[in-house]
Amino acid sequence: MTTTRLTRYDRSMLWLMNDRRAAAWYATAARRRLAVAAHLTLTLAIGGVMTHMFLAEGEPLWTVAVTAVLLLPWMVATGVINGATRGLLELRERALDERQSAERSRVLARAHRVTTLLLAATAVTLLIMGGTAGDAPKAYAAPLLIAVLVVHWVMPLWVAGWRAQDEPADDDVVEPGALVP
Amino acid sequence: MSEQVHNRLAVVRAEHKVSRQSLAEAVGAHYQTIGYIERGQYNPSLDLALKIAKFFGLPVEALFSLEPFRPLTDEVYGRKQP
Repeated sequence: MTTTRLTRYDRSMLWLMNDRRAAAWYATAARRRLAVAAHLTLTLAIGGVMTHMFLAEGEPLWTVAVTAVLLLPWMVATGVINGATRGLLELRERALDERQSAERSRVLARAHRVTTLLLAATAVTLLIMGGTAGDAPKAYAAPLLIAVLVVHWVMPLWVAGWRAQDEPADDDVVEPGALVP
Repeated sequence: MSEQVHNRLAVVRAEHKVSRQSLAEAVGAHYQTIGYIERGQYNPSLDLALKIAKFFGLPVEALFSLEPFRPLTDEVYGRKQP
């Protein structure tokens, strides 16, 4: 952590991100990857429903309801990944120590590379679709742009969740002065 | 570039009966970082290594080395490694 003083907000976020009550949810690599997969699936599902709402221009009520229902587990999955990474992407830089700052830089760099590849693939897809069906790029440009924006936003979270390491083994050193039964 | 830095932090910390959390708070690091240093999964910066050494009142080379450490018992009893 830097020498800059932490604000009350920093301290509360630090406490929240290091709260271990849900530690069992992300204790193993398999569980963390399951959380990332669930988050990815839910993000795609929400994006799909919203795209349907945008393109179909009808029946907005059930799409809003489905989106609201999907958002709840999406938020839970987000919390699990944030817990697994100890708030690597949520905390301000001054609340991170040198290892966490370096890890955040690595995560953002990797997410940037993946997002760049996805953007390139999207651009190529749009160009190919434009060549075969003239109106397609125009019709799909807005939902694709939103999809790319969402992926750009959440990709660091997926990368961070995927890369998160197991907790070091239990620390059983007794504090000086502690009562030992 | 990833030079393996060996350390005997876990041994010294246990000897001083200091928890990871206490050490982390004293040197301004996260308690997981102390655990990763002990497991050899993270090499601390010079700044952090010096702070840890200062906390235990030891020279930094007593805790961190580019060469593997000899077991403490060998050093205490002067045994030579085969």
